[in-house]
Amino acid sequence: MRGRRDSKMISAIWDNLKGLYSLLVGMWVTGRYFFQPTKTVHYPRQTVDPEDLAAYRGPLELTRGKDDESKTRCISCQMCAKGCPGNCITIVKGKEGKSPSTWLYDYTLCCLCGACVEVCPTAAIDFSHRLYLVSVTREELVLDLLADLQKRVAAGPLKPKALPEAAADKPAAAPRAQDAGGPEPAAGKGEG
Amino acid sequence: MSNFTFLNPFAVLDEPGTYMGDFFSNNFAKKAQAGNVILNLGPQHPSTHGVLRVIVELYGEYVLRSEPILGYLHRSHEKMAEHKTAYGFLPNMGRVDYLNAIGWNWAYTAACEQLAGIEPPERAEYLRVIAAELNRIASHLVWWGAFVLDLGAFTPILYAFDDREWICDILQRVTGSRLTMNYFRFGGVGADGDDRFFSLIREFIPLMRERLKMYKALVTDNVILRRRLEGIGPMDADLCLRYGATGPLVRAAGVPRDVRKSVPYGIYDRFDYNIPVSPVNDNFGRYWVRMEEISESLKIVEQAVERIPPGKIIVDKAPKPAWKLPPGESVYSVEGARGEICVHVISDGGKSPYRVKLRAPGFSNLSVFAEAAQGTILADAIAILGSLDLVIPEIDR
Amino acid sequence: MEISGISILSLVTIIVACLLVIALMVVNALVMVYVERKGSGFIQRRPGPYEVGPWGTIQAACDAMKLLAKELFVPANVDFFLYFLAPVLAFLPVLALFIPIPFGPFLTTLKVPDGVVLILAFAGFGLLANLLAGYASNNKYGILGAGRAVSQGVAYEIPMILALLAVVFQTGSMNLSEIVEAQGSAPWRWNFLCQPIAFFIYLVTLVAETNRAPFDLPEGESELTAGFHTEYSGMGFALFFLAEYANMLLVSFVCATFFLGGYKGPILDGFWWTFIKAYAVMWFIVWIRWTFPRVRFDQLLNINWKWLLPLSILNLWITAVVIKIV
Repeated sequence: MRGRRDSKMISAIWDNLKGLYSLLVGMWVTGRYFFQPTKTVHYPRQTVDPEDLAAYRGPLELTRGKDDESKTRCISCQMCAKGCPGNCITIVKGKEGKSPSTWLYDYTLCCLCGACVEVCPTAAIDFSHRLYLVSVTREELVLDLLADLQKRVAAGPLKPKALPEAAADKPAAAPRAQDAGGPEPAAGKGEG
Repeated sequence: MSNFTFLNPFAVLDEPGTYMGDFFSNNFAKKAQAGNVILNLGPQHPSTHGVLRVIVELYGEYVLRSEPILGYLHRSHEKMAEHKTAYGFLPNMGRVDYLNAIGWNWAYTAACEQLAGIEPPERAEYLRVIAAELNRIASHLVWWGAFVLDLGAFTPILYAFDDREWICDILQRVTGSRLTMNYFRFGGVGADGDDRFFSLIREFIPLMRERLKMYKALVTDNVILRRRLEGIGPMDADLCLRYGATGPLVRAAGVPRDVRKSVPYGIYDRFDYNIPVSPVNDNFGRYWVRMEEISESLKIVEQAVERIPPGKIIVDKAPKPAWKLPPGESVYSVEGARGEICVHVISDGGKSPYRVKLRAPGFSNLSVFAEAAQGTILADAIAILGSLDLVIPEIDR
Repeated sequence: MEISGISILSLVTIIVACLLVIALMVVNALVMVYVERKGSGFIQRRPGPYEVGPWGTIQAACDAMKLLAKELFVPANVDFFLYFLAPVLAFLPVLALFIPIPFGPFLTTLKVPDGVVLILAFAGFGLLANLLAGYASNNKYGILGAGRAVSQGVAYEIPMILALLAVVFQTGSMNLSEIVEAQGSAPWRWNFLCQPIAFFIYLVTLVAETNRAPFDLPEGESELTAGFHTEYSGMGFALFFLAEYANMLLVSFVCATFFLGGYKGPILDGFWWTFIKAYAVMWFIVWIRWTFPRVRFDQLLNINWKWLLPLSILNLWITAVVIKIV
């Protein structure tokens, strides 16, 4: 495994020649990669394949009601709020019935562990796949999920879950997926 | 603030105690010989991988003494455990060691399961093995890139990250996140792998084997790298034993100690794989052990994907977030990417565990550094530091 | 009309040439920064500069503007004079080094009879600049880097001289234009084929002399953060940067002149051949930087004293004997 360094001159010279050859091999490798297509995803122009985001845990969202889509399934049982390790959920029960009047979710405190989603008896919460959430203040990240639900319902019926802009860019992403033979890296993260 | 003046650069050390550093540098400087340079490597240094600080005493370029200083990234995970429910502490496990989240997941979950007497179902065990081994490969890939970066080659780390993207994508299918994964639950795992998850793994394994050949051609066989690593930083079994070093360090020292084989946990006894043990205990030995571990982990993943049975992924009546640990204590060791991860859970039956002790392998591994780096050249000391595969958040916890 | 042996005409030529060389150095730095980033990007399978200008072409110019606009931060207890002298000293002598380079058959500033000596004499200034920069900037990393820079530069200058001397022996002239003229137009009549050992030694030493990876120990990033220019920011750093690329350009031109037939080419002789060859050598330097790990310092000196120096002396000796016989 280890080349022992002999004191003999010939073998030392031979070692060095072999070493020089190994340098050429290294240059061959990098030289070959030089001509191969890049593997990064240019975020504003290209986005990640939504299929790869199918299990991605973005900020929470309320699932649509069974009968009335704009109504939440939440019954204000506070199980999620109690089970949350980061205390990021605030639910205030409404006046009539069980449905909540306020559903605040502080994304800055959330560690996306999934305790709330798993504990929910009515499957009222789920992870969204919003990868591109941006804000400039902390307050913006305290999300009002009830309003968010209304907005989503107003935007259109259920499915597709994936981001529309992500789907639009599929042709640009396709040749690289072919080259890589597999998934797209997410937004070139860690490869800049 | 430094007293390092232009006129007499070494004047500071003529009078011990007058050095105007902080407590650690002052303490360190007291034993310094006159004329030597005391150099702070870190906490903001390109090669200390985060906020590790190493004080070294240099004679020319030779390292006479060194002392790692920790605590720049202390987040009191152990204290947090005493204020959260057992379930609520789970997400912390992904944050202790950001490169080997699954290993920590496993150690903590299994310790609690042991205490409560929960047996995870078969399929969950297989999923655990797949996730843990993929995570080990990812961790070794990052180590490989960063280590070679320490030695001055910039390109390999990006190739390593390219391959790691695959693993991130695969693990994202089940864990939902790419880095701080929170996958294990008491009594099983959080999500089942879908078809794409398994097909991605089947695609990834041959691809990774091809890439390992490229790694060998580009880096392992490179004469400059070989000469930088071979014979540098020997750590024999005795040294590892004294400091409690585990993982690739001790396997490079010739001790076939791997928790997966020596104290089989989970279902590791069902797979056919080897524990690579290096005949040389220098930097190259450690390098070699880790590179071999990647291919051994690939073997395990391959077998696990072949054999995974259908069934439940979590036990019925799995513990809820408000679950209370039964009184008692339990210790559980797993083999992480960096060495033996050990979690000691003590519970008095209350809402949150009484005490959770996390034994981070990096902490013991780092303590070897001072002795191993003694008498080496600065560049070699950096190489030794890199070969320990340190993740500072894990060391500080 | 002559002033101490130099005609006014040639004096004017020198001044004009110096201005042109400054322009060349700046343009070269911009081009090389772009080539290096783009090259390293493609090697690492990422696009490199992308956003600024078409294909990121004006990224380098923007960075230069940023460096110009940056505050000149001076750390405490520096030797003020030397601290500011060092970047200038790194940059200025390179101007003189371009005087004897024959870019083309007529595009030569001054056909200096002993051009080789001039180049080798002024090349040492860069070393002095590195030493002063590390020494004056009151930084331990700087001092270590400066020490490394000096011992590396001094050591590698010797095989470099001996390698060039072999070509000088062969040609029988120290005039760079005559060295080019002595080589033929066809690639197989260039010196690198009849002096392969000297060519190899020169290729190794030119990397070491320009402090580039894998011999970039004076600024070895993982050990010394940035080595001798750790404490420089803004324009001071920019000048070191400029000097580095200017030095690269110079050694590449020297390589093209001595070993690759200078301005002679298989199709049409002219300055374009010099540039093509020089930039090919530069690309080689960039390529190996993004491929190899850094050598250790004692290994660096061992390579020099134990291998390159005996090899270059042997090569020189063989050259002398062969010339005597033939």
